[in-house]
Amino acid sequence: MTKITVNGREIEADPKQPLIRACHDAGIDVPMYCYHPGLTPVGSCRICQVEVSQQNQPPRVVAACKTSVAEGMTVQTDAPKAREVRRECLEFLLKNHPLDCPICDKAGECDLQDYSFNEGQGCGRSVEPRRKLHKRRSLGDVIVLDEERCILCSRCVRFCGEVTKKPQLTVSGLGAHSVISTFGDRPLTGNYQGNLADICPVGALTLKKFRFQARVWNLAKTRSTCAECSRGCAITVEVLRGRQVKRFRPRYDPQVNQWWMCDTGRFALGPVQQPLAAAGAVHGGRLAGACVRGPGGLARATVDAALGAAREILGNKPAPLVLGSPFLTVEEGRALQALAAALPVAAGFVAPPPSGLADDLLNTGDPCPNRRGLTELGLRPVEPAAARKALATARAALLVGERVTTLLGADELAGLPAAVRLVVFDTQAHALPGLDVCFGVPTHVEKSGHWVNVGGLRRPLEVALAAPRGVAPLETSLARLAQLLSTAGARS
Amino acid sequence: MGIVQRKDLSLAERLYLPEVVRGLSITFRKMFEKPMTRQYPEEPLPKTEVTRGQPRLVVKDDGNVACVSCGMCEAACPAYAITIDGGETERPIEREPVRFEIDMLRCILCGFCEEACPKDAIFMSDELELADSSRGALVYDLEMLKRPKAALQKRIDYVYRLNQRWRKSSSTS
Repeated sequence: MTKITVNGREIEADPKQPLIRACHDAGIDVPMYCYHPGLTPVGSCRICQVEVSQQNQPPRVVAACKTSVAEGMTVQTDAPKAREVRRECLEFLLKNHPLDCPICDKAGECDLQDYSFNEGQGCGRSVEPRRKLHKRRSLGDVIVLDEERCILCSRCVRFCGEVTKKPQLTVSGLGAHSVISTFGDRPLTGNYQGNLADICPVGALTLKKFRFQARVWNLAKTRSTCAECSRGCAITVEVLRGRQVKRFRPRYDPQVNQWWMCDTGRFALGPVQQPLAAAGAVHGGRLAGACVRGPGGLARATVDAALGAAREILGNKPAPLVLGSPFLTVEEGRALQALAAALPVAAGFVAPPPSGLADDLLNTGDPCPNRRGLTELGLRPVEPAAARKALATARAALLVGERVTTLLGADELAGLPAAVRLVVFDTQAHALPGLDVCFGVPTHVEKSGHWVNVGGLRRPLEVALAAPRGVAPLETSLARLAQLLSTAGARS
Repeated sequence: MGIVQRKDLSLAERLYLPEVVRGLSITFRKMFEKPMTRQYPEEPLPKTEVTRGQPRLVVKDDGNVACVSCGMCEAACPAYAITIDGGETERPIEREPVRFEIDMLRCILCGFCEEACPKDAIFMSDELELADSSRGALVYDLEMLKRPKAALQKRIDYVYRLNQRWRKSSSTS
């Protein structure tokens, strides 16, 4: 470690990292546009300039992202000279940047906006008109480029070259005619395009799916873990007005996903945006409450009545099959095991085969976010085909957890022999002839708990969105059912 | 604390009658003067450009609403009366509101939205009356809030005059 002095404070810095990283790690704010901790510094925006003096030499203003730390270096981030230079750089960056903030999706999380607000001047001095370029250039299915807003920091170019290792973007044209474009105007490909919108320091690259969906300051952010593969990328769940999940964004986790996440996880909003079923209805949306099969088919029932019905089915049939969903948290897995012990049978969980999305960056291709956690608890992974075979010979089964029905195959479950009676805990009640009792459960953004990722790291889930009224935490429901079953067993 | 000494009443005061006559003389004099009161609502209140009535959205001369759903008024609103959802358009200005609701029961007519708007899209109109038989009907949606620019021109001119010290040109396109 190297000792340097920043703003009069002595800090320890990693000599392999640039000066700006040392400042940020010490909590000292240095603005940056082209620098990103996950990418090679290029020093193209010059906004990170600070005053550095070394060994009795007169202080010089240098770009902090292209300067390596040296023993005894003295840095002044707020020196008048450095401020002046940064202000001039900012003025040039804003020369051609349109006044789009009211329209721009980046407003509110835009580095250029923040720094202009803090340090910029009130009005521009330039009398020439701004550059007129394409406002809406589509770069594939995920990203739209607004060439006017681009400040040519080249973060996106470096991301494609360094992180995904598939160079697809470049700065084309010369001088004032430079724009970001793809090679041969081909659309972008790959499963990591969404990160381009995250790393863009301005609103030049935006997500087609999130475009104009919400103002970012209206989004309540909660830390969570991605559900789409066993990597367990750290994410932030962003909820608009406490009602709808609007986006998933990667959150820095040095041990798992760094700053990135794949598009499969980023756009997996469907399962958490399902609308509720109409009041009193059983199908056609999420089940907020419970339903029980009566003489006229499935009908809504109170949770108490449904728990009673579930006890009748599970307690009276021999050796019911107990299968969890791979989305169960460790805590829920434990509750499921306790319930299985009351029956008494061994519990397993549905483990679908690899999704084929595996790559060498993040996606493991294993669609079970908590495979490792549940396996460590002692639940055995069961392939859907094997599970269906076991179901066909069982008399009753308990299927527990988000998406458990779809993972097993709703159509195949509908074709099970009529003797198999099902008790299901799922977000929605599927129209299955064998389904006798169904309870609504919270989705993974509506519950708290832990998943263990493929590397054995325990990662949290937090409640980003309140579960619909009538949906109890799964652990509570399972514990109540286990209690009912054990008392029933004691009586008989 | 002081002690208030109650004065004894004079003879005229004790007689009571002169004061009655004096009071009634005022009453009868006012009877024949022009009344100060107004027959509201038959006779509307005077409205000036300074009147800060309910906020309304400007519809530009090309027929599109000037609002780009940037959310500034929503953020500025101290009563949380405004809810906006944006959407994409094919026009050069890419963004427009698909849902713009002002809960008029919450609105306190403070004019912060007018002040916050970067696009000169929302102005305090001279409309003040607000009555309905349900709360839901008083949550005004986009269609109910739209007003042609000409209807708000007096207020727009006033706001420009008021702000001309620091505001050089119009941003309404």
